[in-house]
Amino acid sequence: MSKANVTRRQRVRSTLQNASAFLKTFRRSKMGVLGLAIIVFFIALALLAGPLAPYPPKLMGAGQPFEVPSAEHWLGTDDVGEDLYSQLLYGTRVSLMVGFVAAFMSTIIGTMVGLISGYFGGKLDEFFMRVIDVLIIIPGIPLMLLLAAYLGPSIWNIIFILVFFGWTTIGRVVRSQTLALRELPFIESARASGAGDMRIMFTDLMPNLVGIIVPQAILSIVGAILGEAGLSFLGLGDPTNQSWGLMLYYAESYGAFLRSAWWWIIPPGLCITLVGIGFTFVGYALNDIFNPRLRRRGA
Amino acid sequence: MREFVLKRSVFMLITFLVVLCLNFILPRVMPGDPITHLMGDVRLPPAVRQSLIARFGMNKPVWEQFLAYLANTFRGDFGVSFSQYPKSVATILLERLPWTLFLLTTSVTLSTLLGIYLGVIGAWRHGSRIDVGIQATGLALWSMPIFWLGMLLLYGLGYVLGLFPMGGATSAVMSYPNTLEFVKDVLWHSTVPILTLTLGSYASNTLIMRGAMLEVLSEDYVLTAEAKGLGQNNVMWRHAGRNAMLPMVTVIALNLAGVVGGAVFTETVFSYPGVGLLIFNAIQAHDYPLLQGAFFVVAVTTIAANFFADLLYARLDPRIKY
Repeated sequence: MSKANVTRRQRVRSTLQNASAFLKTFRRSKMGVLGLAIIVFFIALALLAGPLAPYPPKLMGAGQPFEVPSAEHWLGTDDVGEDLYSQLLYGTRVSLMVGFVAAFMSTIIGTMVGLISGYFGGKLDEFFMRVIDVLIIIPGIPLMLLLAAYLGPSIWNIIFILVFFGWTTIGRVVRSQTLALRELPFIESARASGAGDMRIMFTDLMPNLVGIIVPQAILSIVGAILGEAGLSFLGLGDPTNQSWGLMLYYAESYGAFLRSAWWWIIPPGLCITLVGIGFTFVGYALNDIFNPRLRRRGA
Repeated sequence: MREFVLKRSVFMLITFLVVLCLNFILPRVMPGDPITHLMGDVRLPPAVRQSLIARFGMNKPVWEQFLAYLANTFRGDFGVSFSQYPKSVATILLERLPWTLFLLTTSVTLSTLLGIYLGVIGAWRHGSRIDVGIQATGLALWSMPIFWLGMLLLYGLGYVLGLFPMGGATSAVMSYPNTLEFVKDVLWHSTVPILTLTLGSYASNTLIMRGAMLEVLSEDYVLTAEAKGLGQNNVMWRHAGRNAMLPMVTVIALNLAGVVGGAVFTETVFSYPGVGLLIFNAIQAHDYPLLQGAFFVVAVTTIAANFFADLLYARLDPRIKY
């Protein structure tokens, strides 16, 4: 009883030590800290969209059509006088939500496929790798557009499509790491002591894969956010959940150019880019911390 | 090497068959009725609808539909467009394809050259301010939606400065006095779209070229070349750069699918009359036969380009093993 308590306490302490060592290393990465600051800022915007937004995002006639940015309307208004600052705030929610959910699901699927493929090898592995190869060669955007056109504009359809194409990178990376780990002595000894496949995969291999999965998962958020923006920009977005990409679609369709409404064109794209940079920086910083060999090769 | 080419041929054939089947299956498994999707639109006269249904065997069992589909596809018959009736899908695609190929080949060439150049410079002076600058620009462009980049360039260079046209591939004139004028007009219209696609796709080339170059720079033969007292340019380009370029062929091939996607957005922003804009217009008009045909043609072109890159790679690197 007391012995079990001691080991548990030790484990908790070593986890805490690991975490604080991790934080120390992370804080040293300028890129990582900057990226994290950007992400935290946008998550705060998304959470506080309700109280921060001066108008409901789709309130026509909140101002005159095509108003220049002013104290009243920080980012001006669109063709029917809707407040663009409010739209941008609510758009943050949609874009981030789609990015997180799609990346999360892609990560789960990619990890499973990569783990199973790398661990068992053989015909199954061959099959999954060919599937990934095919998905990489077929131009994704035209196929995504075709699917989205049939499925109709809904946020879940978009997420489904993004996941369908999004799991391949993580699948590949996890598979090659599993292949390398599989041959190491500690897996051998786990097998010798009678551990089953499931146990080896999830208790022995998985903790060693986290360092490679987490940075990839964060980078795949960028892909998902850009993907959603792209589908929305081509008119396949969900009109009831207006994202940054859909704002740009409306800007392009309803004469932002002709009216020289730069305030309608620049902010949504800038937000997408900044969020993308934020997640990319954090992804790269984590990769440097978790996989230091990759870093040293260059220097 | 022969084995490599053979294996790649088989793989490309499989990919082609996957596309062929996808194109058949999609309208049949998606919500709604396949006849409505492919030929049942009110924009087609009833007589045309009936003849299409007969031609594609739509009221026969699925396997007979598949045979009819195969026969029609290899004959180049993708049905009739809803939105541009009475034009056939194939006719429209043939009109549009050259413009897209022009945009793609020029921008892939430019972004490759730019990527190689900046990658070599960055690796040669790694850690320097130039290197950091190259990488930061690359990451920023990588995180940027290409259509927004296009909109900014169009707004700045076209609208504000008035240096370039606001869209289209040629001016609205009936004829040109001579070929030179035509070429000039085409180049003038395509400059900003090509710039957009190049900037949108050079980042990954640069990052990968830089990585490959860093690896090559640690090789003994580079040290030997430097020790022999060869000049910097000679070592940088003829000894290191050349060898670092090899993996680029594969990278370019793998990026092709992405560049094709970029072309859809770029053509839409610049109203450039290629297959990409056609896809956008087909989405807007719910013109499914056109959308299916465009997907098929784009996918087959990409597969062919990939295969071509494989052959090139096999020629360039005789050590290759599959």
